[in-house]
Amino acid sequence: MTVCIDGKAILLRGSCGVEEVELFVSYLEARPDLPVDLTGVEAVHTALWQAIMIYRPIVTGSPNSAFLEATLLPALRFSMEHDR
Amino acid sequence: MDDLMQQFAIEARELVQQASDDLLALEAAPHDRQRLESAFRAIHTLKGSVGLFDLASMHNVLHQSEDILSRARASTIVVDDNLIDPLVAVIEWVDESIDGIVQEGRLSQAQEKQATRLLGLVSGKMTERETDELTNVPSAIPEWASAIRDRLPVAQRDEPLVAISYRPHPECFFNGDDPLATLSRLPAVRHLEIAFGEQFQSVNTFDPFRCSLLVNAICEGPLSAVETEFRLIPDQVELAPLPGIATEALSQKESQPERLGERQASTMRVDAARIDSLVEIAGELIAAKNGLPPIAEMARAGGNDPLAKAIYSSHLEIERLVGSLYSAVTRARMIPLEQTFRRFPRLVRETAAKLGKSVDLIIEGETVEADREIVESLFEPLLHLVRNSLDHGIEQEAERLKASKSPRGRISLRATQHGETLDLEVSDDGRGMLSGDILRAATDRGLVTKTTAANLTELDILQFVFSPGFSTTNSVSDLSGRGVGLDVVKRSIQRLGGDVEIQTVVGEGTSFNLRLPVSFSMTQIMVVEVDGERFGVPIADVIETQKVPISAVQLVRGNRAFILRDRTVPLLHLGQLLNTTGLRKASNEMKVLIVQAGAERIGVAVDTIAERVETLTRPLAGLLQGMTGIAGTTLLGDGKVLLVLNLEELIG
Repeated sequence: MTVCIDGKAILLRGSCGVEEVELFVSYLEARPDLPVDLTGVEAVHTALWQAIMIYRPIVTGSPNSAFLEATLLPALRFSMEHDR
Repeated sequence: MDDLMQQFAIEARELVQQASDDLLALEAAPHDRQRLESAFRAIHTLKGSVGLFDLASMHNVLHQSEDILSRARASTIVVDDNLIDPLVAVIEWVDESIDGIVQEGRLSQAQEKQATRLLGLVSGKMTERETDELTNVPSAIPEWASAIRDRLPVAQRDEPLVAISYRPHPECFFNGDDPLATLSRLPAVRHLEIAFGEQFQSVNTFDPFRCSLLVNAICEGPLSAVETEFRLIPDQVELAPLPGIATEALSQKESQPERLGERQASTMRVDAARIDSLVEIAGELIAAKNGLPPIAEMARAGGNDPLAKAIYSSHLEIERLVGSLYSAVTRARMIPLEQTFRRFPRLVRETAAKLGKSVDLIIEGETVEADREIVESLFEPLLHLVRNSLDHGIEQEAERLKASKSPRGRISLRATQHGETLDLEVSDDGRGMLSGDILRAATDRGLVTKTTAANLTELDILQFVFSPGFSTTNSVSDLSGRGVGLDVVKRSIQRLGGDVEIQTVVGEGTSFNLRLPVSFSMTQIMVVEVDGERFGVPIADVIETQKVPISAVQLVRGNRAFILRDRTVPLLHLGQLLNTTGLRKASNEMKVLIVQAGAERIGVAVDTIAERVETLTRPLAGLLQGMTGIAGTTLLGDGKVLLVLNLEELIG
């Protein structure tokens, strides 16, 4: 399971593909209070990023990928702060 | 000449050289973007400099040249001979005009006439690039792209990058696309923006399988790598190369020629004369410190041993410091060989074209450094050797094919440094030289008799190509035309303290190996007196010194000689060798330097053998340059200039 929930956060782990987006969205809808934890995640499909942009949870943790950490996450945060 | 003009001359020559290097590199590698940018910058800056003077026709020609280069940068025309040949012609014309402009302040009539022809050439038909949606990028940066670039930190806007606007198809997830993963595969993404496109989705209408994102990014080039990544979805992306803000600013700001000094803040242009005067002062210091030991001796003779010791130890310390000062200023005079080497590609290209041959020039070791004087003096001899290879070494295409060689000839110019020695090699893969031919030519010219010729080794025979007799013109072709002016080459290399050797293999090529000092180093000199005049002799040339009583000198067939350890040694007087006219001292004993001349030992008599000094010998310059028997000059502690002799040359 690469998308799961542990009561404190919605966790993304390993490589999260497009097939997990429905489950992820269901967690985001059910627990808007929980942050999304990206600790150690290696790849996240665009569909999941898009879901994060829609539901705007707090995003925590460091992904295990320089591109995600240094490029994608800052862009995502910037977008969520400035959009709408 | 006013300062502005002087500055113009220096910069224009550098820019011409830069443009010429870039154009020749582009000829070999038409897709080299950096060279294209650099050629554009050079011509652009040159145009700006020319604009400061009343040189309208040159300005027009350069303006048009810049224009076609900027079309090549925008990929609307192709970099090929149609582009490069006219530009090379323009650069050559500018190069030839600089001296005239500096002297007259304007173009000569002949050069004015050329301007019209060149303007026609650079305005001629260029090869248009075939239209292709991705490669046919308009020259101006699209607004969306410059808007993204404006969000980059200023420091990053300076280099060439690629702007990307990616609008993934709403159904793209079903095609297996992962737009952000695609971006992660691009060459270094510098900036990324993710936003919702027009089809904004709210939480209520959200369909997680529909992509509504719009992605803007800036990444490093090359453009082709970015195109490859998006090759399957060209309809969803727009790409725009960003040339780098510095380059762009240049193409907009016309009148501000870029100062080369500003580009290289860590280097500064220093007048060579200032460095030379530093070297001279360091040289004088070396000589001055040589004055200390005699003073120490005086102190000792006067019974003051502690003072003598103190002077000696301070002499040692000064010697050490002067040594490091000298090597530091010598280093300041060192320049890379590139300064000489870079003139060759164009020369080879021109000469080869005139001779109807196709030749590749391979240059290696251009970063090796040597004293400025050596690097600059090398141009003529190297040019001689390269021309020789081009003219006589490299065969015509048909002849090469017949010999199963590649139709293109190959000349290499290679430099390596071994300690304080600079090794240069000029080699070709041409027809080589037949020793039989050389020998025949040498015999014909009376350089050698038939009897002696029979005993010569291959190596001895090859040496004839360096004899002055070979530089006369007739029947040069008897000898594959080799040898023309090679004596001059040898002499100029020897003047720099070096030597030339030749190797040749018939059918495979010829190589000339030049061995030179990297800089003019300090040498031990023995000062001798003859007829009241003082001369220096490098101690390395003297095997030993002897005192020979006049009575021991014998006349052997009209020449003088004496016996040294059971061998007869011919005796010459330095005064006679130098034709000095002073009064010869009468003495019943002679001081004789024993020197090696070829295979023989020869005694050279002098009046007095004076002090030994460690000093710096500089090759002769100006009018004295061609004098035989003089290795150079050196400055003594008392400020007098001493001629340093080349005894071997003097005896020969």
